[in-house]
Amino acid sequence: MVDEKTLRDAVKKTVGRKDVKYVVGYDKGTTGFQAAPTFAYEEKDAEKFVFNPTCVNNLAVYPMLEDKPPLRKGEEPDTRKIGIVLKGCDSRAIVQIIQEKGLKREDVVIIGIPCTGVIDPKKLKVKFPGQHKSVEVKYDNDKFAVTVDGKTQKFSKDELMPEKCKECEYPTPIIHDILIGKEIKGVKKPDYKEIEGFEKKSLDDKWKNWEKEFDKCIRCYACRQACPMCYCKECMVEILDPQWVRRSVNLSENTAWNLLRAFHLAGRCISCGECERSCPMDIPLMKLNKKITKDIHEMFDYKAGVDAEAKPLLAMFKPDDPEEFIL
Amino acid sequence: MKEKFEPNIIGFLCNWCSYAGADLAGTSRIQYPPNLKVIRVMCSGRVNPIFVINALQQGADGVLIGGCHPGDCHYERGNYLARRRMAVLKNLLEYTGIDSNRVRMTWVSAAEGHKFAEVVKEVTEDIRKLGPMQHFRRENKW
Repeated sequence: MVDEKTLRDAVKKTVGRKDVKYVVGYDKGTTGFQAAPTFAYEEKDAEKFVFNPTCVNNLAVYPMLEDKPPLRKGEEPDTRKIGIVLKGCDSRAIVQIIQEKGLKREDVVIIGIPCTGVIDPKKLKVKFPGQHKSVEVKYDNDKFAVTVDGKTQKFSKDELMPEKCKECEYPTPIIHDILIGKEIKGVKKPDYKEIEGFEKKSLDDKWKNWEKEFDKCIRCYACRQACPMCYCKECMVEILDPQWVRRSVNLSENTAWNLLRAFHLAGRCISCGECERSCPMDIPLMKLNKKITKDIHEMFDYKAGVDAEAKPLLAMFKPDDPEEFIL
Repeated sequence: MKEKFEPNIIGFLCNWCSYAGADLAGTSRIQYPPNLKVIRVMCSGRVNPIFVINALQQGADGVLIGGCHPGDCHYERGNYLARRRMAVLKNLLEYTGIDSNRVRMTWVSAAEGHKFAEVVKEVTEDIRKLGPMQHFRRENKW
């Protein structure tokens, strides 16, 4: 349970600091079915901040999304910090960005929330189809309590949690400046059974499955926008000379995009599941990311977003890296 | 009469070792299959996975990446970095249902003309067995 009053006080205190530009957090959203990201520029804005099981978004994208327009003559750059409300999984994204030197540790003020699991909005939608009324979603010990029209329904966590929460290793943010509530120890371990099962299928079956999935892709690039690790100034699919990936939506280009997106996250993906959540066509993108996470763990004994001092996976090597595939 | 399938293989060879090795194979008049189309890169570490996927999209049935032996890289670490990248990429391709033998990597030094010819023979035969790459070929329809 996260005490919202403590959270609001912490946000107030952070926003009140002279060296903080704004704080990003969650508000209730339109109906309460899914929390929406919100910004606090002044102390009174902190009143709308909440934390409940619908706070699924990864807010670590915001410091990377911010526009930095060119400075006018004599203008000083704005070096104020950004405050972010982060869950355990989200904090790994910030660690990874710091490792890649995309951000400095002192650029952000992290309000950490030890999280016991959130709700997958897609699973909740199935339970309440066509719901437009106001909803209240709360933690109730080991369950989620959803109140619609004064009626409260309780769901077990396994029923509504996204896959990432079922195998969450870091419920408490790895780095934080302020921690709301008590630390929670991570006891779960990532489960690669599904991936291993899929690996055993024949090449034809695997391709048939992915052909179907990639064919659905409409190339809206929502996966890229939602991903905290996709912050290249110019994405490889937008380079026109040479144009590696064409803009037409067909199987060939979709496959190229999805494979390259997955590859660019090799050793960087922190398994927050944002790509899959934001995908309007329900492509199981985490299956690709998880496969790579598993591979690099086995081959290079590497885990992304844990140690800000470590070197990025593909920018270093060991002389005894696996090379049985080399002729 | 049905034409025999001739694989189309793109080779990214590093300027300092593999390309010189291919040169030596040529000047020594060693016979090897003509299916390999060589693109010279300054280092195997220059080979971005986007090159490989793009080649497969545009009509290559296989890709061969040639670099210096470990420790011999002209830029000290380029081939090590390429090795890591290709290990990840090959696994990813295998996972999506594309035979990972379509993407091969090899260490050939400037003195190994014979090894170069052997590697090209082996890769060509392997890819001939796999057949044409039709998974995600780009269709140039306008």
